[in-house]
Formats: sequence, structure tokens, C-alpha cells
Amino acid sequence: MTTLTVPARPEDDTSPPPVPWRRMAWVTWRQHRFTLAAVAVFLGALAVGLWLAGLKTHHVYAALVAACHPASAACAGMSTTFIGTNGFLSNGFILQAVPVLIGAFAGAPVLAREMETGTFRYAWTQGFGRWRWTLAKLAPLAVAVAAAAGALSVLLSWYYQPYFATGNQAASFSELTPFFPGVFDLHGITFAAWTLTAFAIGALAGMLIRRVVPAIAATIAAYAGLAFAAGGFLRQHYLTPRVTSNPNVPGSAWIISQWWTKGGRFAFAGWPPDRLLQQFCPQGPQAGVGPDGEPKTVSIAECLTPHGYTQWTSYQPASRFWPFQWIEGGWLLALSVLLIAATIWLVRRRAA
Amino acid sequence: MDIDKEISDQVARPGPGGPGSPIEFRLDSASGVPTYLQLVHQVEHALRLGYLKPGDQLPKVRDVVASLAINPNTVLKAYKDLESKGLTAGRPGQGTFVQATLSQVALPELTALRRSLSGWLAAADGAGLDENGIVALFTSALRDFYERRGGSGDGRGAAGGEAKGVA
Amino acid sequence: MNMNVIETSGLGKRYGGTWALRDCTLAIPAGHVAALIGPNGAGKTTLLNLAVGLAAPTAGGVTVLGGRPAGSPAALDGIAFVAQDTPVYRNLSAADMLHLTRNLNRRFDQHYAETRLGELGIPLKRKAGKLSGGQRAQLALTLALARRPKLLVLDEPVAMLDPVARHDFMATVLTAMVDDGVSVVLSSHVLADLERVADYLILLSRGGVQVAGEADDLLAGHRLLTGPAAEADGLAGRLAVVHVRRAGAQAHVLVRATAGDPVPPGWEAHPVGLEELAMAYLREPGAAALPGPVRARDTKQATPTEVTQ
Repeated sequence: MTTLTVPARPEDDTSPPPVPWRRMAWVTWRQHRFTLAAVAVFLGALAVGLWLAGLKTHHVYAALVAACHPASAACAGMSTTFIGTNGFLSNGFILQAVPVLIGAFAGAPVLAREMETGTFRYAWTQGFGRWRWTLAKLAPLAVAVAAAAGALSVLLSWYYQPYFATGNQAASFSELTPFFPGVFDLHGITFAAWTLTAFAIGALAGMLIRRVVPAIAATIAAYAGLAFAAGGFLRQHYLTPRVTSNPNVPGSAWIISQWWTKGGRFAFAGWPPDRLLQQFCPQGPQAGVGPDGEPKTVSIAECLTPHGYTQWTSYQPASRFWPFQWIEGGWLLALSVLLIAATIWLVRRRAA
Repeated sequence: MDIDKEISDQVARPGPGGPGSPIEFRLDSASGVPTYLQLVHQVEHALRLGYLKPGDQLPKVRDVVASLAINPNTVLKAYKDLESKGLTAGRPGQGTFVQATLSQVALPELTALRRSLSGWLAAADGAGLDENGIVALFTSALRDFYERRGGSGDGRGAAGGEAKGVA
Repeated sequence: MNMNVIETSGLGKRYGGTWALRDCTLAIPAGHVAALIGPNGAGKTTLLNLAVGLAAPTAGGVTVLGGRPAGSPAALDGIAFVAQDTPVYRNLSAADMLHLTRNLNRRFDQHYAETRLGELGIPLKRKAGKLSGGQRAQLALTLALARRPKLLVLDEPVAMLDPVARHDFMATVLTAMVDDGVSVVLSSHVLADLERVADYLILLSRGGVQVAGEADDLLAGHRLLTGPAAEADGLAGRLAVVHVRRAGAQAHVLVRATAGDPVPPGWEAHPVGLEELAMAYLREPGAAALPGPVRARDTKQATPTEVTQ
């Protein structure tokens, strides 16, 4: 049988050195530059909007502080103005969508698009190797996305700073504290951490679901579940809450729960039952007119305490803000690493 | 082994002053004749008609493959076949060249053969065979003749396309 | 070079409850164009995916290029794969695809790739999605060949191409064999042009290997007998019959026999072409023609036309 014999090749090795990691830098950039540009544009537009809104907020707040320093009649009106400025941003919930949007739209298509279009049959049969290719894509994108989010959170901190000034609560300027669920993860390091986690969820969802649009949807759903769980249940327990019977809990603290005891035994939690209110606070929270002619507010505590009721508050003091940031940032980072590792593991073992 | 050299010969680009081959192969995929045999026949046919003379170069394997999209091993097989018949020979670094012509039969012999053939044709026609019948009978007898004679020597290219295995 | 480009032993792949490929034992030698033939669903793509490392075996093993594990870095280095419908990134230009492939591999002949695309008339700046099907296939092939692989694996490479594109594509593949000594394994469910292109044949049927061997050996080992239909069944006792095709009075019987074997009286013997051979086996899923020692045949039912080794 005549067959072609092969001319001897100069390099006939069976254990080739791996293709260097840095070669993937151009690959990742070229394939995802649209995504990176979209994230940049999105965050840039957001930043510009926040900057403009923030200037207005700062201006109004400065005027407010100047006007109310010697307490005056103009104060109450200006404080209403301040609270109403950029009201849709004031509780921060709308900005909660930013990490998940970035993470879902940046993270999910990385692998899902390869699987959906079949290009993985090209990418995974090149010399670079499939799991290295995956890592060399996910890691730089994750860092870029988290860094961009981190930059925005600096701006967000600046934006919300007037709301958190000391004494705001006492002067009824705002009820927003650093721990407020809508804003806790907008400043500090958790904004970047949540964005990173959303990206990692997106990457894993993309590899599991293998279709871009369903993966994006799944990422948003999973993220929402996690965010609600963290904000609603987990976060308050990072450190054991302080409990005090002192009714003068600092306004900047994060009140977790309040309850009343009488004579050492639990009476009720939260708002008093109606019969007690009728019994002890017949005129409601307001009773009469104060010395300056303004209606005087009498708090529930002032009504009930003389009758033997003690109010207990469990709270997290404002000083714990940063420790909580580190704790939350820490477990989010660990979770992200785990999710990305799981994604790579799936890539390694997945059959065509 | 010859084949290794042959490949490197055929891959080498023609040097300055090296002409291409005078002939070009074609392929009839519907004919049922194995590809390598078609190439062999075309070379033999070209030799008979004078397109190829001793010293001429056969097309390079690469060129044949590129124009006909056939397996290179097929071309090699055809060239080896021609070489074993003594019709061609490979020159190192240059290619495959024609080295002999097909055995010529003297003109008087050809004339005599043709006359006896015409007689046979008349007899067949008289017996009632039509053209296709004549061809079928002739082909079958031709094949039997060469099978009985063995598979060596020249003139093996029977129209039925016997593919004897080449080791 | 005496190595086997693909060697499998008892290879099997199961998806869910179905075995897409079962008990597949092959040894495809280098220096050939091996054609993997079979109907849709026979397991061709599965076998190729296993060989290039896109899938992992459920049973058995597969090594490539002389013993390298399929999917290992050494295997990826030496094998270039063009999947069905020739995937390339549609929003990248041809030049980008060259750059991409160059970055992802140790070896890449940029000059060859650019020259080849120029010869084909494929503009480097055009996005791959805007190329025609034939041009995209040629681009994918150019990328694969520029990696200077030892083995080129093609999954249904010409299924979507018009005749001219098909011819050009195969001409490119076969010239690469001459220039670089690339071995080729390609799958197709089209039998035309088989004899022209392939010199090693593997026939898959229902997830199992039915025929495997050098084309010349297979052709030398089969004959087509033409004779009276009434005697056709009687042949089965004396000869290894693969497939019978009969009309009223005449039958054609494909048997395993060589040119020197005696022909039963009243029958005419003809050699077979590769396509006719493949077609006969495809019609006869129970028959097999495999080289080398007898392999366990318990997976095949015994029929009157069962072929004995």
C-alpha cells in the first residue's frame, strides 16, 4: 500500500509547554470589548447623573444647615425640600439594580454565547486548552467589572454623605442611616462585591443554562433571592446586636427590633396594642401645645414608661458600619471565587 | 524507499527552466473506473498519441491533487504502477519522467491484425450480435485472457477495470 | 510514520439512556484520508467529538497521534478540528480570527494564512458573518491548517457547500496532505466522491463500527456476483454474503471474496467500487467487515447474511 510518508518535523514533542497566559489578554479584550464598553458607558452615564443630582443635594443640604443652625421658622420648610430632593434616589432602592444588571449582562453571555452559537467547538479545541481559556476570560472581566463598580461607589458615598451627617435624625432632616437596607450596599466596598458576585452568578448560570437570554434571567432571579436574603435576614446577624433599655437610641443606629416588657416579662413587640394606647395615651402621640406655640410630640415611650413598661431595643450601632462592610464584602468575595471555580470545574468536565 | 523521495521530488518547486508537464489529467467520476487506473490509462493514452515522449515530466503530485481534489496516495499509486511497468522513472529532486514508450507493434503486423479483426466482426454481425453484444463478448474474452495469463507485464489496463491489490 | 492518528478501544458514549457510540475499536493509520461514513445518528459526530476532546468517554478509551490522551494539551496541540457548520466568531473579521487563532496556539503560520485567504479572495477586514458559507468554511479550514497540525479532523465539512466550494475545500485539504503530511479524518453522510478522496473507510451504523479498513484492501476483498435470482440464497452457504439485491430473474450479490476465488458456475464476478460497497453495508446493518482479529460480535444479531471474518 502506498501512502504518503510524512516529512520529519523539527518539533515532535509529546508534552508541549502551555501557551502563555498573556496571549489571552488580547483575546478577552477583543471578544468582550463591546461588553466592557457598554458597562463603561452605562456607569459613566450613571455617574454623570449622580454627579449632577449630588451637586443639587449638597447645595440644598448646605442651605438647610445654614438656615437651621439658629433654629428658625424657615427650617421646617427647608427640611421638607431637602428630603424631597431627588426623592427617587433617596432611599437607594433603584440603584440596587445596578450590580445585577452589570453582572448579568456582563457575566452570563461569556460562556452562554459560546455554547449557544457552537463556537466552543472552535475555542475548546485550540492549543490553549479550555479551562485555562475560561479562567483567562473570567478573571480579568470580573476584576474590571468590580473595579468599575468600586469607582462608582465612591461617587455614591459622596452622594449620600449629606444624609448621613450626625444629628440629622435629631433634627428630623433625614431618616437615612448608613445601615439603611437600600443604601448599605451602595457605599463602602459592598457595591463592588455585589457586582462581582452578580458577575460570578452570571458566569455559572451561563455555563449551566447554555443560552444567553435564559441565563441572564436566571442570574437576575438568583441574585434577587440572594440580595433579599442577605439584606433581610443575614446582615443583621453579622455581629450580635446590642440590646438596651435606654429609650434614647442614637438616631444613626440601625434598629433591628423593639419590644416592651413589664415587670420583667415580655409584654408586646413593636407598636402597642390598641387597648393599651387607649388606656395610657388617650390623646395619641400629641398632647397639647408646647411653650413656643408648636404642637408638642409625646412619644409612646413617654406615655407607657410611667406605667411600668420598659422599652427594649436591639440595634447595631453606627460604629459597626465598616466591620459589617468587611464581613459582607468578605463572604461575597468568597462566594464569587467559589462560583467561578465551579464554573471552571463545569467547563473541564462538560461533554460536548 | 522510493516513495519518500518521490514525495519530496513532487513537492519541490520546479527550478528555473523546469517546464511543467505536457499533459493535464482529467477525471470521470461517473465512469466506474478506479481513479488511479484512470490516471494510468491517461498516461498510456498520451504516450500512444504522442503527447508524452521519453524525457517529458508527468504532472507533479501536488498539482494533480490541487486541480482534481483527489487523494495524493491515489496519484502515488498510479505513478508507482507506471514505474513498475517501466514506463516512467523518478528523478531525485525533480519529479517523475517518462522513460519508455509503449511497445510498438510493426505496421505490417498491425495491418494483419486489423484485417483478421474485421473478419471476426463480420462473423459476429452475421451471427446476430449487435454492437453492444460484440463489445460485451469481446470485453469478457479479453478479461479471461489476461486472467489466465497472470497479472504481470504490460497491457493490464482492461476496460473492466480489474483492481489487483498493489502491495 | 507508523503511528495511528486515532486509536480507540471499546470506546462508548452514552447520553442519558442512549448509547450514541458503543464498543468502538479502531486504529486509523497516519498518512491517509479516513472517511467516517454512516447515516445520521450513527455516531459519527460523537466519535469525532471524543477524538478531539470535546466529549469524554463513558466506556473505553481513545488516544490520538500515537498514544496521546484525547483532549490533553499534547493532543490539542497536534489536532485541528473544524466542526459541523464551521464555527467562527461572526462579529470578528477574518484578520481578527487569524490573530485569535495565533494567540491560542503554539504554532501558527501567519504568512500561509494570509496568502491563502488572499488566493481565495476573502478580504481580511470583512466580518466572518458577512462571508458566504463557502468562504466561511475556507476560513475555518485555513485557520486549522495554519496551525500546522499533524491531524485534521473535519465533521461534515462540505455538507452545506455548493459543488465548486466543495471541490475547492477538498483540494485545499488534500494539497495540505502533500505539503505538510497532514493526516485527515473526515465524516460525511454523502457517498459521492468517496472513492476519489478517501483511502481508509470507517462505516458506522447505529453507534457501532461496521466496516473499517484501507480502501484498497476492502475493494480487493469484495466481489459483486451477478447471476440467477433463484440461486441467490443458495450462495449464502458457500460464500460470505454481505448483501443481496434482486429483481425478478437477476440478482446482484456482494460477497467477501478476492479476485482469485472461484466463481460459482452461472455467475459473473465484477469488482466493486467504494460507494457501492459502502451502500451495501449501510443497507445491511448486521454485516461487518473489520480488519485484524475477530472482535466480539455479540452486539450484532446473526442473520443469514451475517459475514464471517
